[in-house]
Amino acid sequence: MGAFGSYVQNIKDAVATIFDGMAVTASHFVRKPYTVQYPDRMPVRVQDTLPFRYRGILEVDLEICTGCLACERACPIDCIVISCEKDPKTRSMVISQFDIDIAKCMFCGLCSEPCPTGSIHHTSEFEGADYSLESLIRRFVKEPVQAYKPKKGPETDPRIAPILSRGMRYINEFAQPGGEKPEDEAEG
Amino acid sequence: MSTLRTEEMTLNMGPQHPSTHGVLRFVIRADGEVMREAVPDVGYLHRSIEKIAEKVGYHGFMPYTDRVDYVCAMFTNQGWAMASERLAGIEVPRRGEYCRVIAAELNRIASHLISVGTMGMDIGAMTPFTHALREREMINDLIEELCGARLTFNYMRIGGVAWDLPPGWREKALAYLDHFDPILDEYNSLISYNKIYVERLANVGVITPEEAISYNLVGPNLRACGIKWDLRKDIPYSVYPDFEFDVPVGEGRWGTLGDSMDRYMVRIMEMKESSRILRQALQNLPSGPVLAKVPRNFKPPKGECQVRIESARGDMGWYVVSDGTGYPWRVHVRTGSFAAMGIVQKLSRGLMIADLVTLIASLDVIAPEIDR
Repeated sequence: MGAFGSYVQNIKDAVATIFDGMAVTASHFVRKPYTVQYPDRMPVRVQDTLPFRYRGILEVDLEICTGCLACERACPIDCIVISCEKDPKTRSMVISQFDIDIAKCMFCGLCSEPCPTGSIHHTSEFEGADYSLESLIRRFVKEPVQAYKPKKGPETDPRIAPILSRGMRYINEFAQPGGEKPEDEAEG
Repeated sequence: MSTLRTEEMTLNMGPQHPSTHGVLRFVIRADGEVMREAVPDVGYLHRSIEKIAEKVGYHGFMPYTDRVDYVCAMFTNQGWAMASERLAGIEVPRRGEYCRVIAAELNRIASHLISVGTMGMDIGAMTPFTHALREREMINDLIEELCGARLTFNYMRIGGVAWDLPPGWREKALAYLDHFDPILDEYNSLISYNKIYVERLANVGVITPEEAISYNLVGPNLRACGIKWDLRKDIPYSVYPDFEFDVPVGEGRWGTLGDSMDRYMVRIMEMKESSRILRQALQNLPSGPVLAKVPRNFKPPKGECQVRIESARGDMGWYVVSDGTGYPWRVHVRTGSFAAMGIVQKLSRGLMIADLVTLIASLDVIAPEIDR
């Protein structure tokens, strides 16, 4: 093949391969669009479509917080500050401060893993923009509250039971060391 | 008439250049459009992650490993977990290893999709980038359901993984693979075989096999030079011996062996192989626990270890020295991007300035991985 031959061949190849690519592009005219317009034109809020394990902004259910400080110890960047003291009169634990610095938090989820009741957990909320760093510190304790004491049997208080069952559902999502959950067998 | 005086021009590219894949800076000495030399200047993204490990302990360092290489964070997770396990002699349950391989191979596809997508974008083809990102988005959705995050996964723990596969996830993943394999062929006809694209990449930045070895290239960059070296096959770790897969190498079909097109095609072929591994792993998933019993106050015995894993950017080494306390004495990460940056200066001699962008894209360097 001479110089002219390869010249023509090159043009032929270029046109043919570009046509191939264009055919793929053109086929997208009849396909369903993949993009969505966020946030105004969503049929449902994005937060409601997120999976249960989604690691959004942290939240604490003080009703079931035992004040064990496991989350504070697990946090690698110390963005959780808890103060607990014993009430000398009633001899029970009182939580007087539970602050989470959302600006510092890196959403790793290490704090919610050791929590015995699922009190500290990630929500599916992720829109946390604010005008100052100070307002990103979430202070969960408005006035000192008594720490939750896990009962021997199932929770009977109708106010706390639903919160605890949600918390336990969150905790049960985590893999148990050496253990196997019932739904694993159906899965595996 | 006197002749025009010419002189060498020193150009600065980056650190905020959009096509340098992060914060990367090159000092270019150029003669017109032709480069005499491009000297990479790394260190703009140094976050002293290795030092942080000495302060936060073994469990707490896991989320930081995500930040070593955020495009394929599963591999950095796995490297750190494996290093800690080897120090303490912990055995990971079989299902845990399978979960790790599944997550890691999904992540490899996602990482290569970014690589091949941005390759087109750096050259000027914007459409393939959106196609690649669309596919990656679906992987992100899968991983989000698995571990709750889309980029900084923090999925693995010392001794296994943090979450078991959710109910119905396996079918979703298999359905995704069924969708993905034809998409890859479509992607190839969209851009990979495009004559203009091939002409732009072929014979640019040719690395000979000898050079690749002497410059310590790893991963797809090394395999593109025709050297069949994959840690998953050659020094098997985890459960990779269970799976049947090929190691694609560059063939020089479009130009010279070891050119940018070869590096591009090796990544495309590797995605196919990852899909094969994923199918086998998802189908042969054993039952059992996914996490071994590891004390919360994790103190491995005195000693040191080096773990090598095949990340999306090649051989990633984790060197950990323990002094018997709850904090590692020293951690060092050996990453593929850093080695790849070393060869840029040599390859850039005589290259056009516009080809430098192609070269960086084809080496698939990720700035945070270079500096850590």
